[in-house]
Amino acid sequence: MRKMLGIFLGLLLATTQLLAQNRTLSGKVTSSDGSPIPNVSVLVKGTNIGTTTTTDGSYSLSAPEGAKTLIFSSVGLIQQEISIGNKQTIDAALKTSDEALQEVVVVGYGTQRRGEFTGSVASVKGAVIAQKPVQSFEQALGGRAAGVQITVPNGVVNNPPVFRVRGTNSISLSSYPLIVIDGVPTYTGDIGGTNAPTNPLASINPNDIESIDIAKDAAATSIYGSRAANGVVFVTTKKGKAGKTKITYDGWASWSNPIRLVDVLDGAQYTAYKNQALRNSNLYNDNAADAVADMYFKQATGPNGQPVNTNWYDEVYRTGFSHNHSISVSGANESTSYYFGAGYTNQEGILKRNDFKRQNILFNVDSRLNKVLTVGGKIAFSNELNIANGPTGGLSGEGFTVAGLGRTAVVNSPNVSPYNNDGSYNIGSQYIGVQDNVGISQVGFYNPVPLLDLNRSDNENNHLQANIYVQVKPFSWLTLKSLYGVDNIYLDNESFQTPVHGDGRTAVGSATSSYTKPKTWLWTNTAQFNYDFNTVHSMSLLVGSEQQRRTSKGFGLNRQGLSDPQFDIIQAGYNLNNSSGLVFGENYMLSGFGRLNYNYDKRYYVSGNIRQDEYSGLGKKKGTFWGASLAWEVTNEKFWESTGLNNILSSLKVRGSYGKVGNIGGIGNYESYSTYTTSLYGGIPTLGLGAIGNPTLAWETSTKTDVGLSFGVLNDKITFDVAYYHNDIDNLILGVTQAPSTGLGSINSNVGRMYNKGLELVLNATPIESKDFSWTTSFNISFNKNEVTSLAPGLDELPFSTSGNELTNKTLPGYSLGQLFVVRTGGVDPATGRRIFYTKDGSPVLYQHYVAPGSGQFNWSNPDGTSHVPITQAADGIIYAPTQPKSYGGWDNTFRYKGFELNALITYQTGFYLYYGTQAGLRDQRYWNNEVGVLTAWQKPGDVSKFPKPYYNDNVSNGSTMPISENVVKGDFLKLRNLTLSYTLPAGLTKKVGMTNGRFYVSAQNLAMITNYPGSDPETSTNGGENSGQGVDRNNVANARILTVGLNVGF
Amino acid sequence: MIIKEITMRNKIYAIFFGLILTSAGACKRELLNPVPETSVSDVTAFDTPDRVLSQVNGLYAQLKGGKFYGGRYVVYNDVRGEDFTNVTNNNITAADLWSFSINGSSATIMDTWARAYSTINQCNLFLEGMAETGTAVVGEAKAKNYLAEAKFIRGLSYYSLLQLFAKPYWDGNGSQPGLPLRLTGIKGPGSSDLVRSTVAEVYAQVIADLNSAETDLPLTYPTGATQAFTNTTRAHRNTAIALKTRVYLSMRKYAEVITEANKIVPATAPFKAATGIAHELQADITNVFKTPYTTSESIMSMPFTTDSRDVSGTQNQLGTYFYNNGSVGSAEFMLAVDGIITDAGWKTTDKRRSFVYTNATTSRKYLSKYTQPSPYTDYVPVIRYAEVLLNLAEAKVRTTNTVDAQAIALLNAVRGRSDATTVFTAGDFATSTALINAILKERRIELIGEGIRNLDIMRLGLNLPARPGKAETKPGESGYILPISNNELIFNTLMTDN
Repeated sequence: MRKMLGIFLGLLLATTQLLAQNRTLSGKVTSSDGSPIPNVSVLVKGTNIGTTTTTDGSYSLSAPEGAKTLIFSSVGLIQQEISIGNKQTIDAALKTSDEALQEVVVVGYGTQRRGEFTGSVASVKGAVIAQKPVQSFEQALGGRAAGVQITVPNGVVNNPPVFRVRGTNSISLSSYPLIVIDGVPTYTGDIGGTNAPTNPLASINPNDIESIDIAKDAAATSIYGSRAANGVVFVTTKKGKAGKTKITYDGWASWSNPIRLVDVLDGAQYTAYKNQALRNSNLYNDNAADAVADMYFKQATGPNGQPVNTNWYDEVYRTGFSHNHSISVSGANESTSYYFGAGYTNQEGILKRNDFKRQNILFNVDSRLNKVLTVGGKIAFSNELNIANGPTGGLSGEGFTVAGLGRTAVVNSPNVSPYNNDGSYNIGSQYIGVQDNVGISQVGFYNPVPLLDLNRSDNENNHLQANIYVQVKPFSWLTLKSLYGVDNIYLDNESFQTPVHGDGRTAVGSATSSYTKPKTWLWTNTAQFNYDFNTVHSMSLLVGSEQQRRTSKGFGLNRQGLSDPQFDIIQAGYNLNNSSGLVFGENYMLSGFGRLNYNYDKRYYVSGNIRQDEYSGLGKKKGTFWGASLAWEVTNEKFWESTGLNNILSSLKVRGSYGKVGNIGGIGNYESYSTYTTSLYGGIPTLGLGAIGNPTLAWETSTKTDVGLSFGVLNDKITFDVAYYHNDIDNLILGVTQAPSTGLGSINSNVGRMYNKGLELVLNATPIESKDFSWTTSFNISFNKNEVTSLAPGLDELPFSTSGNELTNKTLPGYSLGQLFVVRTGGVDPATGRRIFYTKDGSPVLYQHYVAPGSGQFNWSNPDGTSHVPITQAADGIIYAPTQPKSYGGWDNTFRYKGFELNALITYQTGFYLYYGTQAGLRDQRYWNNEVGVLTAWQKPGDVSKFPKPYYNDNVSNGSTMPISENVVKGDFLKLRNLTLSYTLPAGLTKKVGMTNGRFYVSAQNLAMITNYPGSDPETSTNGGENSGQGVDRNNVANARILTVGLNVGF
Repeated sequence: MIIKEITMRNKIYAIFFGLILTSAGACKRELLNPVPETSVSDVTAFDTPDRVLSQVNGLYAQLKGGKFYGGRYVVYNDVRGEDFTNVTNNNITAADLWSFSINGSSATIMDTWARAYSTINQCNLFLEGMAETGTAVVGEAKAKNYLAEAKFIRGLSYYSLLQLFAKPYWDGNGSQPGLPLRLTGIKGPGSSDLVRSTVAEVYAQVIADLNSAETDLPLTYPTGATQAFTNTTRAHRNTAIALKTRVYLSMRKYAEVITEANKIVPATAPFKAATGIAHELQADITNVFKTPYTTSESIMSMPFTTDSRDVSGTQNQLGTYFYNNGSVGSAEFMLAVDGIITDAGWKTTDKRRSFVYTNATTSRKYLSKYTQPSPYTDYVPVIRYAEVLLNLAEAKVRTTNTVDAQAIALLNAVRGRSDATTVFTAGDFATSTALINAILKERRIELIGEGIRNLDIMRLGLNLPARPGKAETKPGESGYILPISNNELIFNTLMTDN
C-alpha cells in the first residue's frame, strides 16, 4: 500500500510540475527536542502536491505559484500548518502526540484541547503510575487527582480498591466509576469466583498506559449517559511515536512487608494472663486431687524441650518478593504507527500463598492508508493467576470467617505449636489442638499451617481486549469513524479444601471448579463535524450511535467426599457431585449521542452533550441524559491586557456546568421480571416464584452542578484550580421490603435520595527551575459532604452488617452514608475494674462478666450496685460517627538535580472514623490471644487502665457481643505513600552505549504514616467497596510497605 | 489519475456509509427485551401440565426449606423443651431460642416466619393460578388433587406458625391474637398491612383447608417404583386426616381427634389403616429413620438427596443440631443430662435407646435419629403413624376420663414394638391422669427430635423449662411464645407484637 501511495504521489508530482510555474521550498522537520523526524508528509494545502522528509528530516518541494500553506503531518505527531509567505525555507517543529496528550483531554468518542474544554476533568499521566508495585493502575491513583478517593482495602494482592469520584454516589448499586479503555467500557470489581480477588483492571500493564483522564462533572461525563453518575475514567494506552523504532525495557523488583502489626502476647504471657482470667472467673483448677475437672492453661513443650512460643504472624505473613518486566517496541512512519508491549509480573503478597502473576501483550497499530482513510486497532491479551489458600479475611464477607488468615494470626494461642512434637500437624477435633492446656476445649481457630500447605483457592483470568476502527475524513471538516471492540474474560476458578483440617473437614474434602465467560462486544459509529467561520466562530459537532452487548455464561462443579486422601484435584475420586457456579446473563444497550462545542473568538465557550440509552436490564428502558457547560476565557479578552490585569494573573478561566446523568452499575439483568425458578424436591423438579421484578425500574439519576475557576500567576509558574460541585442523586434503587407475611422479600424500586457536595482545590507550581535544579509541586485537597435525604417508605434506616454478622453501620436520612452504630462506653471504672457502658439516654451501667454466687452483685449494674437490665445494641446503640472523610488529597513533590530526581507523594484523609472491630478480638477474654496492652489491665481499686479486670470468657466488655465506642477510632492520616529516588544517565553516556535513555530508581511505598489509628492502616475496608459499610476494620489483613528497585532503559 | 482516485474514494465512502447504515439497521432491538432462559416468566408458569406439576412439587419444596420444615422448625420445637441442652452457645444456631432470651430481630425468628409465609403465599398464588388457567391445562380431576395439596400445605404452614407465634387455643378459647391470615396471592408491592386474625380464626382456616384436602386428595399415588416415595413425600387423604388429629389435639377438641383418628386407626390391635395407604407401625423403629425412609409408618416426611439444590443447607440440618460423631454433626444440642434419657421406665433394652449416642471424646449424649453425613440427607418426619396412635390414645382418655382400654392398647403398641418386655395394663394406672402422663412420657420418648415437644407444652399449658440463670416461664409470661419478626412489625403497620 505504501509503495502504491509513493508511486501515486510521484505521478502526481510529475503531473503538476508540467502544469504550473513552480518555486522550490525546503526545510527541516524536527521534534520538540530538536532531533530530525523522517517520513513526515509535507503537503501544499488544497492540493495533492507533497513529499516526505528524508532520514535527516529535510525535504524539498516544488510548490505552485499561489500556494499559501504547507501542512506537515505524520502519525503520532500533531499536524501543523505553516503559511508560506515569501519564505523559501520553512522549518517545522512537530509535537508528538505524547506531548499533545498533555494538551488534550480524552472526552469520550474523541479528544479536546485542554484549554477549550469546559468540563471538570482530572488527568494523570501514565508515567507516574507506570513503575509502581501495584497490580492494577487505579491502586496507584490515590492522592494524585482532586476529587478522586482511592482506598486500598488491605494487603491482599489484586484486591480492587474502593474507587470514588466526588464521594459515594449510590447506596445499593456500584459507586465505581465507569472505566473506558481505548473507547471500550470494561468490567470492574472483583470478578473472581474464589477467595483470590480478581480485579479485571489488573489486565492492563500500568506500563502500557499513556494517560488517565477522570471526568467528574455532568459536562465531562454525560456523553456516557446512564452510566456516568460515578464519573468516567478514560484510559488511553500507548501508541507509537514518530521517529525510529524505540525499544524500552522497564524492570523492577520489590520486597513487601506487613506494616504495624499489633503486638500480641507471647506464649508465657498468654499462659499467665489467661490463667489469671480463669482465677478471676473462679474457673482455674489445677488440683488433680479434687472432684472438679482441672482447667488451666499450660504452655506446650516443643521438641527442643523449650516452652512453645508461637508467633502466628510468622506463620501467616511473609516478606513478599515481586518482580516485574515490561518491554515495548514502538515507532511510526508517515503512514503507520505501532506500539508493541509485553509484560511479565510475578508478585507475592504479604500473606503466604497469596500471589499475582500476569503475562500480557498489547499491540496498538494505526495506519493512514491515504489522506482520507485511516484504519487501526489494538489487541491486548493478558493471562493472570490470582492465588490464595482460601479465605484471607481480606474480602468483603470474610470478616468473621474462622479460616481467615488475618484473623487466625491474632486469635490463635501462642502457647501451642502448629506442629506436634512428632512433626505432625497440631489439629484438634475441629480447631487447632490444645496440646498441653488442661481442660480448655479450644485455644484458637484453624491451624493455618496445614491450610496453607494443602488448600488453594485460585483463579486464572484470560482477558482479551481488542478493537478495530476505520476512520474516513472525506473533507477537512468531517470525520467518520466506526469502531468495533470486544472485551472478553475467560475465568477459570479452582479451589480445594483438604479433609485433614478446616472448612473441608465435614465434607471430607471439597473441590470446586468453575469456568465463567463474561463477554462484551461494542460497536460505535460517530461523525464529527468541525467548522470554523468568520475566524471567530469555531464549532464542532459529534453525533454517534453505539450498541453494547454483554453476555455471561458459567458452569462448574463441586465435588465432596474424597475417595482417597491423597487426591487434591477435582478430576480425582469423590463421592458427591454437584453443580456450582452456574451463570447465565445477558444485557444490551442501544445508544445515540451527540455533542456540540462552540466558541466565540476563543473567549466564550458553550458545550452540550446529550445521550439516549436504552437498556435491557431496566423496566423503564429508555432514558435521556445531558450536560451543558459554559466557559469564559478571560485572558483572551482585549481588556485583559489593556487594563494590565495580565500582570497580576497570567491566566484566568471561569466555567460552569449542569446536567443529568444516570447510574445502572451492578443492576441485575432481569430486574424487571417476576420469574418462577426451578429446584428439586426429593429429586423431583420443582417450580416456584423466585424473584419479584419491578416493571417500572429505572436508572438512578444524578443531577450535577459544577462551577470552576482556573487562574495562574507569575506567568503560570503557579496555577490554581478551584471547583465547587453539587450532585443531587435521586431515584436511588433500594430494596423496598414488604412485610414478610406477604411472602415476598424486597422489591427494588427507585426511591432514595442523597447528595454529595464539595470543593476541590489544586495548586501546581514550579517554585524553582534552573538548569541543574528544579522543584515542581502539586497539591490537591477535596472536601466532600454526603447526606442521605430519604430512603424508602417504611424504611427509616438501612442497617449494614459486616459479613452478615455484626451490625456496624446504619444509613438514615439526615446523616452521611453508613454511619457507625455502636453502644457508647466510657473506659473502665477505677473502683471496680468494670467496663462502663452507657444506655441510650446516657446513664452509666457497669458490666462484670463473672458474678460470684451470693455476692449480691450483678452482671449489669448501676453505679450504686443495683441491678440494671442488660445493655443491648438494639436498645442502647446510637448513630455514633461518620465513616466518609471530610477531606482528602495529596501533595506531590519532584526535585531534580542534574540526573537525580526525588519524588515524594504524600496523601491524607481527615474527618472520618473507623470501627476497629479487630480490637474487640484483640481484647476478647475467651481463649483468644490479646494485645500486650492487657498486661496493664485493672487489678485493684484505684487502678486507672483502659483494660477492665479480665474475667475468662468475657466477650462483652471488649465489644465482641456488640460494637462499642471504645473500638471506634478517628482514622485521620497523613501518609508518605511513595518516595522515589532515581538517577538518569547523562545523554552523552547513553548515546555512547547505544541507548536512548537509562534510568535507575529506588522507591518505597507506605514508608511512613502519621495517624492515631492503632491498627495496621486506617486506609482499610473489611467490606470492600460496599457503599454503606465503609469504615470497618474487622479482622482485616494488614497493609504492606513495599521497597522497590528498578531500571528503565531505551534503545 | 485524479479521477480514478476520486472514484476509489467514492467507493470507500460508499462502503463506509453502507457500514453506518447497516449498523443503524443492525441494532438488535429484540435484545432489549430478553427472555430469561434459566427461569420461567410468571405469566407462563401454568401453561403446561408439567409446569403445573412442578409447581405442586415446588410448594412442598417451600415447606421443606431449611428454615422451616426442612430443619429448623423441627429443631426449635424440640429445643424449647426440657430434653436438649445447648452446647455451642451460638445464637445463629438457636442458643438464644433455647435459653428463652431471643428477640424479634434474630434471624432465627425472622427467617422461619418469612419462610412459612412464603410457603403460604405460593400456595395462594397456586390456588389462584389454577383457577385462572391451570385447571384447564391439567383437567378437573388432577386439578382437584393439586388444589387439595396446596390447601394441605397452607393449612400445615398456618398451624405450624400458630405453635410458635400465637398463644395456645385454650387461652381464651382462641380469642387471643393469631396471625395475619393471608388467603390471596401477592406478586407485587402494596399488600404489607394486614391485621392479626384471632387464634380461633386461623385454626378455623387450618381445619377448613385440611377438610377440603381430605375430600380431594388421592387415597394413594399410582403404583410403580416411586409409589412409596410419593406416598411419603406428598399429601394423600390419610395425611390430611392424620394432621387433623394433631390440630384438634392442639385445640383440645378431643372428640374430633377421635373422629379423625378412627378413620385410619382400627378399634383394636393390630393397628393398621384400613383405607388409603395402610399405615402401620414398623416392627423395628430404626427402619423408619433409615434409607429409603418410606415405610408405611411415615405418613409424611420431607425428602432429601445429595444434590445441593435438594438439601436444607448449612446450619439447618437436624443432624448438625442433634448429632456429633467425627465429621458428622456439629453438636449444637446434646441430650439433656436430666432429660427424658434419665427416665427409669425407659429400659436400656428399649430399641429407642439406640438413638441415644454417646460421643467417645466428650462423653456427651446426642440423639442419633439423623446420622447421615454431610450433606445430611436424612428425611425429616412431618407426621408418623405412631403419633396418630398416641394422639388417639390421649384423646380417648381425656374424653372418657377413664383408664381407657383402647388407649392402653395404643400405648402398648408404641411401647411394645421397641420394648417387648414392657406391657402396660389397666392396673398400672391408678387414675386416668396417670395414664395420660404415661402417654405424654411415651410421646417424649417416641417422638424426640421430631418437633413435637413444644406443641405438647403449648397445648398442655406447661411451663417452659428453666435455663441457666432463668426460671421456668409460665403460660402468659413474656417469652412463652416467640416474639414476632421485627421486619413484620416494621413493614406491616397493623401488626402487633407478642
